[in-house]
Amino acid sequence: MVRVFLRTLTRIPSYCLSRATFSTDSSSFAIKNVTKSNFDSSLADLRRHIRDSDFVSIDLEMTGVTSSPWRESFEFDRFDIRYLKVKDSAEKFAVVQFGVCPFRWDPTKQSFIAHPHNFYIFPRQEVGDDGSSYEFLCQTSSVDFLAKYQFDFNMCVKEGISYLSRAQEDDVRLQLHSAYENEPSVSPFTAKQSKDVPLLRMADILFVERLKNKISEWRDDLLQIRNGVSRRTLEDSNDSIDQFQTIFFRTHPAIKLNGFTSRQLRLIKSIVEKSFKDLTFIRANEGSCFQQFIVYIDSKRDLELLMKEFKESRLKEAEMKIEAAIGFRHVIDLLSSEQKLIVGHNCFLDIAHICRKFVGPLPSDLEEYVALVKKNFPFIIDTKILLNANDTLQLKMKKTSTSLAKAFAVLCPHIASGVGSFGSAHTNSVAVEVQVDDMRSLNWNSGAKHEAGYDAFMTGCIFAQSCNHLGINFTSHSMLTKEVKLQSYINLLYLSWSSGDIVDLKTGNTRTESSAFNGLKIQQPKILFPNIVLIWGFPSKLKAQEIKESLTKVFGLTSVTSIFHLDKTAVFVQFSKPELVSDFLKLKSKIEKKNDAIYVLHPFSDLLEGGLTGAACYEVYKEICGSPISKPLFADQAEASLQMIPRQQKLLEKD
Amino acid sequence: MLTMLRRRFLCTQASNFSFFNHKPGGRRRPQWPIKQVTKSNFSDSLHEINNHISNSDFVAISLQNTGSYSSLWHRILPFDTSETAYLKAKYAAEKFQILQFAVCPFSLRAFNKLTAHPFNFHLFQRDELKIGTPCYSFSCQSSYLASMAQEDFDFNVCIYDGISYLSRAQELAAKHQIGSPVSSAYVAPSPLSRSVADNVFVERIKSRVGHWISACTRSDTKADGYKITNLYIFFILNLFILFVNYFLLSADALVNSLRKLILGGDEFGSRPSLNIDVCSERQVQLVFEMVKSHYENAVPLTIQAKGGGTQSVRVVLTSSKEDRDLLEKDLKNMEEEQSKRIRGFREVIDLISTSQKPVVVHNSLNDFTFIHSKFLSPLPPTLDEFRSSLHSAFHDIRDINHLMKEVGPLNKYTNLPAAISYLKRNFFAPMEIELPQKAGMEECKNHGHNAVRISELFARLCFILKLTPEAQHQNPDGPSLKPYSNLFNLCSDNFHETDDISIWTHNQKKISINNLAFLWGFRSSVSAGKLKSLLSKSHDMLSEDDVFDVQLVDKNCAVIVFWKNGLLEWFLDALGSGDALRELVAEGLKAAGYETYKRVCKSEVFGEDLAALLAEFDRVSRDHVEEPAEAYWNSELMINFDDL
Repeated sequence: MVRVFLRTLTRIPSYCLSRATFSTDSSSFAIKNVTKSNFDSSLADLRRHIRDSDFVSIDLEMTGVTSSPWRESFEFDRFDIRYLKVKDSAEKFAVVQFGVCPFRWDPTKQSFIAHPHNFYIFPRQEVGDDGSSYEFLCQTSSVDFLAKYQFDFNMCVKEGISYLSRAQEDDVRLQLHSAYENEPSVSPFTAKQSKDVPLLRMADILFVERLKNKISEWRDDLLQIRNGVSRRTLEDSNDSIDQFQTIFFRTHPAIKLNGFTSRQLRLIKSIVEKSFKDLTFIRANEGSCFQQFIVYIDSKRDLELLMKEFKESRLKEAEMKIEAAIGFRHVIDLLSSEQKLIVGHNCFLDIAHICRKFVGPLPSDLEEYVALVKKNFPFIIDTKILLNANDTLQLKMKKTSTSLAKAFAVLCPHIASGVGSFGSAHTNSVAVEVQVDDMRSLNWNSGAKHEAGYDAFMTGCIFAQSCNHLGINFTSHSMLTKEVKLQSYINLLYLSWSSGDIVDLKTGNTRTESSAFNGLKIQQPKILFPNIVLIWGFPSKLKAQEIKESLTKVFGLTSVTSIFHLDKTAVFVQFSKPELVSDFLKLKSKIEKKNDAIYVLHPFSDLLEGGLTGAACYEVYKEICGSPISKPLFADQAEASLQMIPRQQKLLEKD
Repeated sequence: MLTMLRRRFLCTQASNFSFFNHKPGGRRRPQWPIKQVTKSNFSDSLHEINNHISNSDFVAISLQNTGSYSSLWHRILPFDTSETAYLKAKYAAEKFQILQFAVCPFSLRAFNKLTAHPFNFHLFQRDELKIGTPCYSFSCQSSYLASMAQEDFDFNVCIYDGISYLSRAQELAAKHQIGSPVSSAYVAPSPLSRSVADNVFVERIKSRVGHWISACTRSDTKADGYKITNLYIFFILNLFILFVNYFLLSADALVNSLRKLILGGDEFGSRPSLNIDVCSERQVQLVFEMVKSHYENAVPLTIQAKGGGTQSVRVVLTSSKEDRDLLEKDLKNMEEEQSKRIRGFREVIDLISTSQKPVVVHNSLNDFTFIHSKFLSPLPPTLDEFRSSLHSAFHDIRDINHLMKEVGPLNKYTNLPAAISYLKRNFFAPMEIELPQKAGMEECKNHGHNAVRISELFARLCFILKLTPEAQHQNPDGPSLKPYSNLFNLCSDNFHETDDISIWTHNQKKISINNLAFLWGFRSSVSAGKLKSLLSKSHDMLSEDDVFDVQLVDKNCAVIVFWKNGLLEWFLDALGSGDALRELVAEGLKAAGYETYKRVCKSEVFGEDLAALLAEFDRVSRDHVEEPAEAYWNSELMINFDDL
């Protein structure tokens, strides 16, 4: 109670302040865009907002969805294949915009307060140089789509916030520490056996003699000062101040060497090493370039201490650089550590992107992936699932499409229309007050569809409204994640919306929704994966019907249940019996081996014409989908990825 | 000759550099007025550039792509043969996309006057015709984009207003997909002999067309389809049975086809037309011949099936010879209009290609693999095929990299401004640069300077090397640039027939790829020096000085070069059997010959980790095919991993 009271108290000034701006133009202030320049300050605010929030809605804009046409979702895709396709997408494409919108219920105002944030992010390489370049794929149609909605590509590339995944961070740290440990502990500079620079040129010899005198002079002066006998100041003793600057190198008197050539520096180094026991030559990293010093040291122990101190400070610097490079991942870490309810709309791919970009490489297996998600984001709710699975909401939606914009318009007309809800007839609607910096509005509508920040806001509104329809009381102090009425929807995600495949993140189980939710779907014959053979690379003029004909000529009229084109170069054939798959593969390799004239008359001759026809069982399809290669045509993909698949797999296909 | 010119002149650069912006405190950056072309002003500029190209002696081009390599070993490295270099360039060209294409037609006139007309085209390939994207997806190297952003590259202009295009191959496919009638494109080769079946087919079609024409003319071209002769009904019945067989499952298609058949095909514009279904290209040819020879006023057109091939032949009946000419003219215009829309920016490439002007580039292999793959057709699997295919479109390519090699240390300069300033410092080559056009855009959006720099560098090099480019028009066999044309910038090409190789190979030892092997399986991030000492300690054969050398390719893979013949075989055997180099084998060190590397490149599976790929391909087969080829060992060009 006290806390609530305090909250209202502290809010009063800002509320009064916002009243002033309220009157000018209430609903059209811009969304909070976050880029490199205002990231740190925004993060501090967002941290507070997320901590206080009841749930956080998210939305992502990517540079593409499928890396090749055949990687789109098919009827014939099994759960594991669907996951592999999503994995491929999350691995190849970049996230360019990330919308985060924390929602907090304000019991005194009886409304939600939303803080929509629109982050521009870009996979810029800030630390670590292991040779591989940061690379991402763009799907032309997606980039075109972004352009259609006025996406600012310049902002993204120039000002986008970079990030490191946890795995990347670990790698970089490991590299740093191994480099730190590999450095000899005494002194990397004096201990290193360097080849002496041969003094061949006259100029070199003169240079060495001159420098030797100068350095010993400097050293003698230094010692005299230390002994209290100061005849003249150090500054006077050096005639070339520019090149020979006396400074303190970590509390040790030192000469900063400026404007020498690299050859001269090597000469100086050998002079110092040969002629002066109490001086040491140090090459230090100052910013991006190296700076050379001659440092005075009392003893060997002193040197060791100096080196240790120096190395530690370098390590610290590098650590700070890594810390800064984490960038946008701080937001994800926040979501993960606060264990807030995350709300997305059809967000399986979004979550996969988040895991890939900010946690680490995705496992090849759906179950392992589910465990990874559960560990990092224990509470996820998908508004698309919610809208389709709940009868009350179905009724509210009047069976219209559950696309984000449509659902927003139907469920939250008071926000979508931009007309204020005060005194209007929408008694059953949840008020959402939007707060951007110091501006507030109850009917905010930036209208920028397909902008991640706004999409996240819409998703959150849909969720709030849905909860209201489900009869959830926001004022009660129980957390939304514990809410009984939401339990049957939490952590369910559409693996593929079109096929109704749902994965349960709590258990890792998968199931297919009956076609009740998407009533228009035509019931296909049941798909039996062991009965499926994949054929590719056949002559392009062959159509599904002709392939079916040639197969039925050999295996009987009822042998082929269905046939489906992946693309123009490949088909799935479902046989009536699983044995037919191996029969077909055996027969095919037999015909290919014997190049007899008789086989020209074989019904398969059309299919195998050209000698590039490949065939395999369904498991090989999985291997092909799991391959990192992405060729536009499936036949090319199959050939390219099978080169890399271990031989036993190939034998499986042959026998 | 060179040394004569190698003198420093103090005041030679005072000439016409009014285009330099003297920014206070900043570095000098030339701001030439370059015409920026986007979707909106493309058609106007097309005309302009056409004039400039035909009035110029050379065309310099320069590309700005979305990236060039995915991992270190994908770059073209000194140990690459021309073939592997091509495969790497091919991989990059297929993967990345062109965002900017600068074209600079220029002329060199007497007194070292360079007249240039630079254009910079912003490109973005999108699905303008709504027939499926010509380029499904493309890669971006984020460091590339970031450095472009630093130069104020405007990605929004590029993506929002970039000019789209289709390659020649894509255009052909698109035409098939649109299913537009094609007339003129069809060239009928004279058949050697006709079979009985051909004759039967021709006779049948002939009588069908004849009946249809007489029906049309009898009814004075109105309601052409309703007066059906008995024969025609019989024919339809035959076809009907055929259709029932073919379209058992799709009732829609059947109804459509029947409607079309009964109405005797569609009307083509205001003229009656008849569709004749064909089963092969051979039949198309026969129908064309028959119609052309027997029916003067009928014009045959092919209707392309979706996805290629000819679906049917449409015969259009015209009322007179004049009408026929009119139709043919209309068709031609229509086709041209449509192709123009389809081709987009490729029109410029075609202009350059048809002008037959020498094309001057900085990195020909890289640029022309991109050009070939984006504007001509998919890249062929081998360098030879690529070369001949490219030659048919661009027969005169000048790579300034080759000219730069003639000027001693210049081959160290990989970036254009550095090379130009080197020449300015060391040679006397007064140059007047004239760019007659005015800049239309503000300074920060003024891109495409590299094309002008290429032409400037080319002009300077021609002057310094005493090559007379303009003389070529009068005397093609004279002392000219001929030896430098059509050379690709490969570190290891073998088509340098001239002797000048010795000028610039002083730091390169020629080595045979049979003395080079790849090493992997050592501790990640070890330095080349440590690896070398590890190897030399392992066996007496390797302990002598100057027996071998090691360089890192990336952190997991290195190349080892043996300076003596025969040592490589011993080394590979020893590692393979594990007898002589037991310690190394125990540490997991593996090696493979150059053939394995070639196979990796040929497979076009360019994974990120070369070591893993080599291991994979080495395991698959261990045949060593002897093939004498030369690679240059150039320690200067070699990447030193420690420096990275």
